[in-house]
Amino acid sequence: MSAPASTVPAHDHSHEASKFQIYVNVAMLLAIITGVEIVGIYLPFAKWIIVTGLVILSVVKFLYVIFYFMHLRWDKPFCTILFFIGLVLASGTVWALLALFSAKDSLPLPT
Amino acid sequence: MSSHAAGTIDHHHDPSTSTGIPNKKLMMWTFLASDCMFFGALISTHLIYRLHPAPGSPQPKEIFSLELTSFSTFILLMSSLMMALAVTAIQKGNVKSMRWSLLTTIFFGTIFLGCQVYEFVEFATLKNLTLTNSMFGTTFYTLTGTHGIHVAIGVLWLILMYVRSFQPPEGQRTFGWLFKNCLHVSAIVGAVLLSMFAILGVVHTIQTGGTTASYFASHLWMIVGFFATIAVAVSFWRQKTAVNFGEANAIDVESMGLYWHFVDIVWIVIFTAVYLIEYL
Repeated sequence: MSAPASTVPAHDHSHEASKFQIYVNVAMLLAIITGVEIVGIYLPFAKWIIVTGLVILSVVKFLYVIFYFMHLRWDKPFCTILFFIGLVLASGTVWALLALFSAKDSLPLPT
Repeated sequence: MSSHAAGTIDHHHDPSTSTGIPNKKLMMWTFLASDCMFFGALISTHLIYRLHPAPGSPQPKEIFSLELTSFSTFILLMSSLMMALAVTAIQKGNVKSMRWSLLTTIFFGTIFLGCQVYEFVEFATLKNLTLTNSMFGTTFYTLTGTHGIHVAIGVLWLILMYVRSFQPPEGQRTFGWLFKNCLHVSAIVGAVLLSMFAILGVVHTIQTGGTTASYFASHLWMIVGFFATIAVAVSFWRQKTAVNFGEANAIDVESMGLYWHFVDIVWIVIFTAVYLIEYL
């Protein structure tokens, strides 16, 4: 059994009733964005435009999941800070490694 | 049932901790932050070798099946929705609703794993992409396989939580409740797997030009097994006794939900960085 949490009056849970609607709307939005991503790769635009679009759409999906499904929107800001410390470190590592291995001296020698 | 009245616990604040955040939730967020770095390293390794492919490297576009991957992505997104609904249900003290949502999440998670196994088998046998015959195969299987293991752990955790929700109170606990409910959930998972194999059998029969009679002849044990497992699952569902599970356990379900949603957001990144990018 988990540690007991504090109790609140029932009327403070008024936002709980609308959560079902919020979750369904977010799920539908995520499904639509996924559809847009799949269609987007076949559009006759420059590669950098499509890549930028895909990255933006993925970030939007990512943020919707963590802030709504993972409750960060309703939880204490410390949870957000804690998770973003890991996220920023991970993103920085990805960026640093990609930059490092794109440097001229790092490219594989022609065989 | 829980000693608290339904819907009276503040699930976003715990005054017994210095941060005001329940310890289990804090632990889970810390773990997820570290897991971000783990997947960041795997994703960057894959991208580095894709940006600088070795001579003779396979063409992922000719290997991947975008239809299957898109279907898996959609399934995982819907499983996240059901997981969020399970957390909301138990926060209101609605154990029955939580069980249905957990079962649906387990169902979607199993489908996702089934799709991944199907994909790996097809890549290895038909497309000749193995873990060791190219750098692309090594980084691809390591990344997506690690994610798949996370999903499998999530499904196991969901199953354990589902079984836990049937635990009787201290005084009324009989010897066989754990065995009985493990059997109950095994029957459900078995029914899902058998139905998936039976559907794959239909597809195979259509592709090879087989008849309905030949399908039933070769898949009879699957169909019988499917109905048998359904019967076992339904008979064990009808439990009338009180349970030692309620709103006070919401933090356990919420922590598990955080893990499951994390698996989903990792797949959101993998879907774009590993699959979609290859089609440009």
